[in-house]
Amino acid sequence: MSDIQALDLKGFVTHSVQSVFHTMLSMEIVLEDPPDKAGISTNGHIVGTVGFAGVVMGTINLFVSRTFGREMAAAMLGMTVEDIGSDEEVNDVIGEVCNMVGGDMKSRLCDAGLTCSLSIPSVTYGNGFKIESKGYARYEQLGFRNRQHSALLELYVKSAN
Amino acid sequence: MTLKVLTVDDSKTIRMIVKKAFQSYDCAICEAENGAEGLAAATKEKPGLIILDITMPVMNGIEMLDRLKSDPELKNIPVIMLTAESGKDNVLNIVKKGIKDYMVKPFKGEELIERVRKIMPLESRTEADSAENKPVKYFTQVEDIVVLTLPAKVTRPVTVEVEGKLQAKIQEMTAAQIKKMILDMGGVSETNLSLIKLIIAAFQQCQQASVAVKLVANPKQSEELKGFQETSQITVSHSIEEAKTVL
Repeated sequence: MSDIQALDLKGFVTHSVQSVFHTMLSMEIVLEDPPDKAGISTNGHIVGTVGFAGVVMGTINLFVSRTFGREMAAAMLGMTVEDIGSDEEVNDVIGEVCNMVGGDMKSRLCDAGLTCSLSIPSVTYGNGFKIESKGYARYEQLGFRNRQHSALLELYVKSAN
Repeated sequence: MTLKVLTVDDSKTIRMIVKKAFQSYDCAICEAENGAEGLAAATKEKPGLIILDITMPVMNGIEMLDRLKSDPELKNIPVIMLTAESGKDNVLNIVKKGIKDYMVKPFKGEELIERVRKIMPLESRTEADSAENKPVKYFTQVEDIVVLTLPAKVTRPVTVEVEGKLQAKIQEMTAAQIKKMILDMGGVSETNLSLIKLIIAAFQQCQQASVAVKLVANPKQSEELKGFQETSQITVSHSIEEAKTVL
């Protein structure tokens, strides 16, 4: 079994996010350091969350602006942004992106002997709120950029023991 | 004979992508959003293929697979798992349960079709079906030049469809030693990212096959194309006649 501290979580997540955006959304996304948190919360933001639990426990939160969320939904569904009629489509796409990133993380943790299961993703909308998870052994924060849009990904991991 | 395909996934988006992947083939798609609904649909519809997700509410894909395999009437239906989880143990456990293939998200519809073709033949829709579903005719030929006319609305599915058809057309052109193409976007109502990607893809495909290509756009579109880095350097003609003279 691997030590949580020794895992290249940042590398795993970066590869995973870029792969999901490239393959499913035909969008190229690059790391942005420091993350553009202000850009994400303009006009409110959307947070997709997926959790994993087992020998290790953790959460992945993906923050995007509402505008970017709609563009992501349009790209994945093969529509124009104007065709995206409701939040339902945006929720589904953000949830599915989180599911893919979370599924990849879960698989890498399991391959490292840190067996865990993945939760169903959830999506939260809002303005000016902050999500903070306490007591985690590892916390990684990564900013991404696609053209004028930013995304922020937070990863929390701890041992169940 | 039409192949019935059951896609079981809690994401409507994924079900839609699966559905689109099969749209060029003689397939009827039915959908279910969890394992329980999937089992009911499999019992009722007796599909020829099931595309199954793992992480779903109510009943997950593993439980649905177990129940399928224990049902004498359903156990022989080929199943392809389509899931975000790629862990070695996970894959091994599922492969032991008798699935035909395992595909990890993210994925492209074309990759799914390739996997399906490895386990069963897929028939393209007949010409009549195709005409009914896609009345758009993209290619015409003027003397020794093939003209690709883009539709009024270029969305991502249109891009995928045209790219596929273009690939086949270029092969035909190469065989017939036709080396000139005009890409006519004059009738396109909106210059969006899908259109830009399609133009770039068309130019790349032509370049790879040594086919000379010219783009036709109206003056307003020409200005809009300059606003995109990818198309800002492309020389644009304002009519097919003008493009023919420079080819």
